[in-house]
Amino acid sequence: MIRRQQVRERLLLNADLATSVLCSFIADAIATSGCGGVVLGLSGGVDSALSAALAVRALGQEQVLAFNLPYKSSSPDSAADAEAVASHLSLTTRTIDISAMVDTYFDSNEEEADEVRRGNKMARERMSILFDQAKKHGFLVLGTSNKTEILLGYSTIFGDNASSINPLGDLYKQQVWQLAEHLGLPPRVVSKKPSADLWPGQTDEQELGFEYEVADEVLYLMFDRGLAPDEVAERGYPLEVVKKISSLEEHNRFKRRLMLIARLSGSAINLDREIPRD
Amino acid sequence: MHRPLIVGLAQTDVRLGSFEANIQLHLEWIERAHQQGVDLLIFPELSLTGYRLLHLTGRMALQPESSPILEPLLEASRKISLVIGLVEEDGRGVLYNSSLMLSEGRIAHTHRKLYLPTYGIFQEGRFFGSGRRLALSPTHDGNLGILICEDLWHPHLARSLAVAGAKVLIVSSASPGTVGSGPVPASQEAWESLIRATALVNTCWVIYCNRVGWEEGSFYTGGSLVVRPGGEVLERAPFLDQHLLTAEIDLREVDRLRWRLPLVQARRSDIEGAS
Repeated sequence: MIRRQQVRERLLLNADLATSVLCSFIADAIATSGCGGVVLGLSGGVDSALSAALAVRALGQEQVLAFNLPYKSSSPDSAADAEAVASHLSLTTRTIDISAMVDTYFDSNEEEADEVRRGNKMARERMSILFDQAKKHGFLVLGTSNKTEILLGYSTIFGDNASSINPLGDLYKQQVWQLAEHLGLPPRVVSKKPSADLWPGQTDEQELGFEYEVADEVLYLMFDRGLAPDEVAERGYPLEVVKKISSLEEHNRFKRRLMLIARLSGSAINLDREIPRD
Repeated sequence: MHRPLIVGLAQTDVRLGSFEANIQLHLEWIERAHQQGVDLLIFPELSLTGYRLLHLTGRMALQPESSPILEPLLEASRKISLVIGLVEEDGRGVLYNSSLMLSEGRIAHTHRKLYLPTYGIFQEGRFFGSGRRLALSPTHDGNLGILICEDLWHPHLARSLAVAGAKVLIVSSASPGTVGSGPVPASQEAWESLIRATALVNTCWVIYCNRVGWEEGSFYTGGSLVVRPGGEVLERAPFLDQHLLTAEIDLREVDRLRWRLPLVQARRSDIEGAS
């Protein structure tokens, strides 16, 4: 029976090989798409820092456009951390404040909206700007969502989970940390508590109710290895946490299969006719 | 004295769904290999079409005996023998994942993949029919057998070819990679064990040509190998990068090993029970 300690070992990557493969992914996507580079938002967090670092390694600084897209309540620490990442990677960032766009909608139409709706709108505003900048430059949008948050659905659909290519989508959060550390990204960015920074003081783990290490291991056992929740709990994880993670995974599947099309013809896109995008 | 056979392994990337790009690529690699004195150049599985075709499979199918697309490659095969991969249409509504031996301007041998992986990320059984025939290539004095990727995981095929007289097994592959904690792609460790074991128990050369590049977010490992009779790795290509690997194959090495390690000759058909 696979034990908790073994699960941790299984999640350890060979960092050199993983880095080479992910850089090759980015370079190949750019070469075959005919696009000139990538745009991404730098949030000050470890995910976007790692995506940026991989892109710079794969393409060079000139082909990576980094944006800082703060809202008025965004923590100044986030901007400072994003700047530290940019400076570490010798990237110049452009700042576009999204407060006016977001506030115009809510102030004029939806004043009573709660913080989740406002947070979702911010995430989609950023996505909208990144895709516009990508169009402007003939670049691709580089994704920054990791496997843990994709499986938990801890993202805004068509917001931060939207991208043209995503090098991190098969990396659990602790693997993101491992690679970020390996690539020498600023320790303050690697070690800080993850936060979507959609409202002051927000942290992912507080909102989710469990730690990322636990989530990674539970998801690995369920998703990668096919264990049932009670079988996962037998390996030494609290049953309540396992059930919560399992429930999040189940209820957020819609976010990972975009474009649900009603099938009529027998030649439905993606269902009957799977045409590769490459 | 026998002249050794110079084999080349074209560890290429392939453009999914483009004959034009892939024919051009084949011709470039053939020219390079020819300049290096290669006698037999091996391309990866589905080298003319790309691997993950899904519902493009039918659109990329061709009937080799009559297709004009193959003409430049048949012409090139007058100076260098080629093993290429394509979607073969049999004219009766079935498509095959096939490897063709082109030699002296004609199609000398066709191997239709016998075991179609249809699990995990693999979907071949949805789009291809399974081959039904295993035979030696009549070229090179009947010393060569061809298998495709998953075929090697069914060891009775390699054994049957060795028993029939194969001294060299050619394995064209489009094997996707995974990354774990080791310094080489995790999938490659399994492949290398399998290939070396095949060369050991069948006392023959194994030439494993795997592709590189990305399709639909999945990478192919490369790591092509030339393994000597007995299982020693003679030459290896790097991971992830395109590479033309060449090696001198001395067929007499097989005979010399078999004189002292007569595994292939010791075939029995009289064992009762689970056999």
